Amino acid sequence: MTVYDDEILGKAYDGRLVRRLLGFVWPYKWELTLAILLMVGSALVELVPPYLIRTAIDGPIAQGNVAGVWPIFYLYVVTLVLSFVFRYLQTYMMQSMSQRVIIDIRMAIFRHIQRMSLGFFDRNPVGRLLTRITNDVDALNDFITQGTVALLGDLVRLLFIVMTMLVLSWRLALVAFLMFPIVIISTIIFQRIMRTTYRVMRQRLARINAYLNEQITGVLVTQLFRRETQSRHFFAEISREYLQSQFRSNNTFAVFFPTIYITSVMATAVLLTFGGQLVLNEYVTIGLLVAFIQYTDQAFQPIRQLADRYNTLQSAMASSERVFRVLDTPEDIKDPAQPHHLATPVRGEIAFQNVVFGYNPDEPVLKGVSFTIPAGQAVAVVGATGAGKTSLVSLMARFYDIQQGTITLDGIDIRAITQHTLRQHVGAVPQDPTCFSGTIRDNIRLHDHTIDDARVLWAAEISGAATFIQKLPGTYDYEVRERGSNLSVGQRQLLAFARAMAFNPEVLLILDEATSSVDTETEQVMQVAVQRLLKNRTSLVIAHRLSTIRYVDRILVLHRGKLVEDGTHEELLALNGYYARLYRLQYAEQLGGQSSE
Amino acid sequence: MNQLQALWPYVYKYRWRYLLGLLCNTVQIVFTVLVPQVIREIVNEINTRGIIWDDLIGAALKMLGIATVVFVLSFITRVLVLGTAHQVEGDVREAMFHKLLSLDQRFFGEHHTGDLMTRVTNDLSAIRQFFGPGVQQFGAVLMIIFSSALMISTDLTLSLIVLGLLPAVTVLFIVVGARMRDIFRKVQDLFGEVSTRAQENFSGIRTIKAYTQEEPETAEFLRVNERFRAQNVRYVLLSGLLWPVISLVLGIIGSLVLLIGGQKVADGQLTIGDLVLFNSYLAALGWPVVALGWTVDLYQQAVSAAGRIGEVLQRKPHIRDDDGHGAINHTIAGSIAFDNVGVAVGTGHEQRWILRNISFTVTEGQTVAIVGATGGGKTTLVNLLARVQDPSEGTVCVDGIDIRSMSLASLRQGIGYVPQDTFLFSVPVRENVTFGRPDATDAEVEQALHISRLSNDIVQLPAGIDTLVGERGVTLSGGQKQRTAIARAVLRNPAILVLDDALSSVDTHTAAQILEGLRNFRKGRTAIIIAQRIATVRDADLIILLRDGHIAEMGSHETLIGQGGLYTAMYQREMLADEVDNA
Repeated sequence: MTVYDDEILGKAYDGRLVRRLLGFVWPYKWELTLAILLMVGSALVELVPPYLIRTAIDGPIAQGNVAGVWPIFYLYVVTLVLSFVFRYLQTYMMQSMSQRVIIDIRMAIFRHIQRMSLGFFDRNPVGRLLTRITNDVDALNDFITQGTVALLGDLVRLLFIVMTMLVLSWRLALVAFLMFPIVIISTIIFQRIMRTTYRVMRQRLARINAYLNEQITGVLVTQLFRRETQSRHFFAEISREYLQSQFRSNNTFAVFFPTIYITSVMATAVLLTFGGQLVLNEYVTIGLLVAFIQYTDQAFQPIRQLADRYNTLQSAMASSERVFRVLDTPEDIKDPAQPHHLATPVRGEIAFQNVVFGYNPDEPVLKGVSFTIPAGQAVAVVGATGAGKTSLVSLMARFYDIQQGTITLDGIDIRAITQHTLRQHVGAVPQDPTCFSGTIRDNIRLHDHTIDDARVLWAAEISGAATFIQKLPGTYDYEVRERGSNLSVGQRQLLAFARAMAFNPEVLLILDEATSSVDTETEQVMQVAVQRLLKNRTSLVIAHRLSTIRYVDRILVLHRGKLVEDGTHEELLALNGYYARLYRLQYAEQLGGQSSE
Repeated sequence: MNQLQALWPYVYKYRWRYLLGLLCNTVQIVFTVLVPQVIREIVNEINTRGIIWDDLIGAALKMLGIATVVFVLSFITRVLVLGTAHQVEGDVREAMFHKLLSLDQRFFGEHHTGDLMTRVTNDLSAIRQFFGPGVQQFGAVLMIIFSSALMISTDLTLSLIVLGLLPAVTVLFIVVGARMRDIFRKVQDLFGEVSTRAQENFSGIRTIKAYTQEEPETAEFLRVNERFRAQNVRYVLLSGLLWPVISLVLGIIGSLVLLIGGQKVADGQLTIGDLVLFNSYLAALGWPVVALGWTVDLYQQAVSAAGRIGEVLQRKPHIRDDDGHGAINHTIAGSIAFDNVGVAVGTGHEQRWILRNISFTVTEGQTVAIVGATGGGKTTLVNLLARVQDPSEGTVCVDGIDIRSMSLASLRQGIGYVPQDTFLFSVPVRENVTFGRPDATDAEVEQALHISRLSNDIVQLPAGIDTLVGERGVTLSGGQKQRTAIARAVLRNPAILVLDDALSSVDTHTAAQILEGLRNFRKGRTAIIIAQRIATVRDADLIILLRDGHIAEMGSHETLIGQGGLYTAMYQREMLADEVDNA
């Protein structure tokens, strides 16, 4: 089993990263300033209640002045209400600001990813990109809310309390501070232990989840191959490992919480003993002693939280490191600074000149390919798997950039025009037809609202998709589920054709599916659709089905990255070369495997 | 409560640990409430100057003594009660997994993977929260009762103020908490939408780029994000309120204690120590009253979680060994007989037959092909054989035995099944191939790889046959996956081999080679092959043409062609496509 562990733990503070993060916060500097002011206000207000108690005890209460307690009570209530308002406003300001920052960051990542070439998507699985844009951005939210203002807030609170205590009575303050080292040390020790324990726990839980997900998805295979016992044993093993780490965490907490309790009782005991002596010696009043018990308690809270913030910062740093790595990935396919324009109307003549390309530059897939396709010609590309057929289509749409040579559209190098212009005129129907969640209509026109309903209907009609769409409940408003899971492969393919028709590009690139998982009837509908698509249009078809080839004007034969034959079906058969061999082989197979030998 | 009963046995098993834990908790609470009493004494004596240094030390040691007892007892409570809750969670997790492995496809068709995952993870952790912290916090009740008794014995008026107003905190927590949970669920739903949008975009990036939809997609993503943010702000408006408002209520109680208590002290009815005592109890009770509200919340969540968990635990698999007569253990030779088999879905008016009146026999070693348009019932038919599902009527016999009376183990042992949707585990290729035969020798594995034409591909993988498959490893192509699944089935050396459209992602050339390899392997073995094209299975001993759940035609290729029916028409259509090419 593999463990999903994307955690890199490093420094809790990295100046470079923090500066970049603050760059995202900067536009909201006024909201941030206000939040900080509110925080300082609430820290100040919180100092008042213990002081009021002191005043009451040493003043009216000690003097037996019953009516004298009232003004203190009023002040007390005002303080409480102020504290409530400050705290609430500060939380609200802070959270709503951080939500804005988070969306800015998420959109920045999304926009950047949109600009990446397909090579980037080949290197980064969808799951990883998704983690960047969800979990990692979430961790950054923690950085903003807990790492900046809250961290500052804890420090300010602690500082205010310490100062107040020193001002009120330095002797009593020193007595109270006696307990601080114990709280600080025990908190640090606890945090150290918990950090590793939490990490182990998370890893083990992730392992359980990954295994569970796989076992539920593949349960039929496990059952058919009688592997239930082994699976159960393995699950019990990883489940118990997780349980062990849970026990460890529980035991740590079982020590920590009572420790907090015992230190707070000790703090009170120390204050009463030494402070009591100070009262007896008339250095301090009894009211101040009572107030100090509360101040000491108030001081413990930020100390404990400071240690917690450390962990948050640490994981936020790791997340921002990953997020910035994505944002720093350079655009490998760039639009030219001064793009050329295509002469209108676009004719659709394409030419490859000595094109060399490899996904990895050291291993070229195309090794110097040249050909010209005049406007309106339909061309099929054939060749064995790995001959470079798919690359040809990807290059024409500039999904990747070539290493040598040129590719031109109407005589203009495709690198000299913007990708947007290029793809408006060069449409690619991908091999694996993609569907998006949304209506059938949305799947045909995507977000392009210049394509009206009439055009959608026409495109569906022409591509043969209309027949199955009519039968769906709600027809064009039928909701397609994620990845088109409620449509068959054939239907998805037809929908992709309809989409291509709706956008009506001058040059069409089609990747013909290699599967045979479409039944004969759908297959025939698709053949008709392809035929219509190719009509009067420059097209490059990667053909797997022999039947597709009969509609094209010309066939290019690729073999190991080189163009080996070029001509019409008849010409190539007469040539009796590679194509003729390939054709005979496939023809025989499609007739029946047994006659191939 | 009814729903929680499903989990009772798992909790009852650890009853002694729970009881001991709760006992420790009770004693610990008794000691905890004593601390303010000591504080009162000291404060009073300091105030009246009736104390000397030695007394102060003595009182401090008394407090430390109590705190030490509380420390030890609350450690034991946590280890026992909370630790046991983890143990219960682990036990139920294993039980659920065990149950899931025994359930049939009907169950998995009804529940999404994500839904089942949630039950084993989130729902289970709600259970742990209730049986751990939830149970421990029942102690809050004791805490409140003991403290109340001690407060009332000091001063009734002040006690009434404190005890009358404290429940407001509990109610506040329950009310605001419930509302928060509602809104939070909406926040999570919208977050799911954000994540789905991103995922769809990344997976369909080729299409998005091909149609230059990057800008509109970004605008759409921003729109979803803004909706998420708006909902989140709504959540913050409420959640940001919770703690400040609880502090406010507690603070107001404190101010009233100062007012009334202060006046009483000034009047001589109470001592300063009594006032400090009330302050201490108020501080000590702040958390228990919140915890009480939290426990109510935990209970509600645990009940609904237990309902969902119970649904899994109490589910009876439809397909299981015949427990009535004792399942027969039998080594399968390979003859198959379907006798008037039918499969229906739905009941009453909604009932629809997917398969009906299916009867045919296959003798040992024969190859049967099943052809027909999509939706004709081909997969359902082969599923009956391995008891992935059971027929609604009629019987399926293997070697003359009704497969429902055979043990599932021996039935499935004899069948090598390659399902339509290939599923590989994220383990090395070797483990995937040896999945049904962990004891296979290298030579056997080699042979299986050869038959499925996987050998050449494996050489090209980064770590050969030990290359890891899946998200964290190498992504195999559709064809490679299917061939791995074929190797997996072949390696089991089954008496019956079932291929459900298992070559759909393999290119035609390789497919022909695999079929050729399988032909030798099939000798003496029964094979059932579902195919989209007749050409691939022309040489089968028996061809069954399924149409709308019925056997439309059945016989050898020659016989069926001779009949000039549907099969002939299908075959001619296939031929025609190729003839045009040839012209």
